[in-house]
Amino acid sequence: MSFKNILENFSKYRRGAEEGGHHEYEHRWGMAIDLNLCIGCNACSTACYAENNLAVVGKDKFEKGQAMHWMRIERYWDDADAGRDFPEQGALFLPMLCQQCGAATCEPVCPVAATYHTPDGLNAQVYNRCIGSRYCNNNCPFRVRYFNFWSYYESSWPEPLNMQLNPDLSVRDKGVMEKCTFCVQRIRTAKDKAQRENRAIVDGEFQTACAQACPTGAIVFGDTMDPNSRVTKLWQEHEVERGPYTSKKPKQNAELRGYRIFEELNVDPSIMYLERVRETEV
Amino acid sequence: MQFANRTSLNNAAAVSIRRLQAKLVQCGKPFYLLMALAVMALLPLTAMAELPVPSHITPPPGEHEGEHVPQPIEFPHDRHVKDMKINCMYCHTYARRSKVAGIPPTSKCMGCHKVIATDRPRIQKLTEYWEKGESPRWKKVHDVPDYVHFTHEKHIRKFVFDADFPVEDVQQVCGVCHGEVREMTVAEKKKPLNMGFCRRCHEANGGPGDCWKCHK
Repeated sequence: MSFKNILENFSKYRRGAEEGGHHEYEHRWGMAIDLNLCIGCNACSTACYAENNLAVVGKDKFEKGQAMHWMRIERYWDDADAGRDFPEQGALFLPMLCQQCGAATCEPVCPVAATYHTPDGLNAQVYNRCIGSRYCNNNCPFRVRYFNFWSYYESSWPEPLNMQLNPDLSVRDKGVMEKCTFCVQRIRTAKDKAQRENRAIVDGEFQTACAQACPTGAIVFGDTMDPNSRVTKLWQEHEVERGPYTSKKPKQNAELRGYRIFEELNVDPSIMYLERVRETEV
Repeated sequence: MQFANRTSLNNAAAVSIRRLQAKLVQCGKPFYLLMALAVMALLPLTAMAELPVPSHITPPPGEHEGEHVPQPIEFPHDRHVKDMKINCMYCHTYARRSKVAGIPPTSKCMGCHKVIATDRPRIQKLTEYWEKGESPRWKKVHDVPDYVHFTHEKHIRKFVFDADFPVEDVQQVCGVCHGEVREMTVAEKKKPLNMGFCRRCHEANGGPGDCWKCHK
């Protein structure tokens, strides 16, 4: 269905969310990340490394920008010029991962359709189809696609660490773009299980590795098409809706903290962030 | 390939008949007897039917000449499947439950071979493994690349259990991808098992077409 969709609706596909959607969804996986709860501990990132066979590239390659953390904690300072020293500077943390955009900018630029939209509302990356042109990375406003510049088999998982690799997804080789998949292997397992038991997927039955690892429960994962899921309720509570960007509403209620990053680019991200509120000046 | 095998069998039969014919001619027997003999000799060969494909499956075209994979013990599938009529899923018990069909543990072999055919060299070799507490290192014959997600369980469910296909004939369903295992000793790869083969079958039988259903 999806690949056919690319072939048949390419012009529509390219124009994105303004056209009013061009996908038939079964699920639309989404997230709500509460920045009030995020303590910047990097547990999500570590869990992602373990779950998704992410290579540890080492310090020198990290400095060259070749790191492959599908999930990273971005750090911002409240007021950089106030002259305050480190602990009182007021750090803000923002877990940044693939936003699984409904009208993703990375998808239409792929010359070989290695990245496409699944009926689950995910931006899929088919590793063995990817030729490494890196157009998608250049077109991604969030910079959450990572390119494999090297093969990391020996350096990242020396024996016997290779035994810890997750068999449910491939170990990517060099020359391939990779990105957060919302732990598609877990989604796949849950779907298979639900199908076997002849039922629909229950909310909270499974979650992504990052949501599972978060000690404060800042990350909520679920199906935004399921009206009873926790994530849908959070979205509704904070009046964030799917679909194209209309205009920035003036904030009526300080309780409404929900926003989607780069919403105005009309990429229809699947992750809602809840703004951090500080009670006092830092 | 099966066809070619059968022809070569037929050829072998023809050669032996010709030899017989030569001998009989020396004996001065009438020719029609020879013809009758020849027909009788060929009959079982022509009657040896190809593995029937279940009517609810459209098999994808594609043949493959698999390499012979040497196994620690030359396991005769033909003996177990054709002669003894043992169901595939008796030994490959995980096929209906999980992603992989599974190689049976040595205990399963010994369940029968503690008492059956204990005088054969292959069984003696197996017993040796068993007594040492080791497993024969069976080699994988049908292997798909690491980036492919394939589950036996889903395919068996669709084509056997949900289709109300008789479980005792399950080898016909297995044979769509594994070929005529009942005619092999050690298993050989007789179907290409590449993406084209999978896609042709998915198109013909209504399987999913989404890349991420199979690629991981």
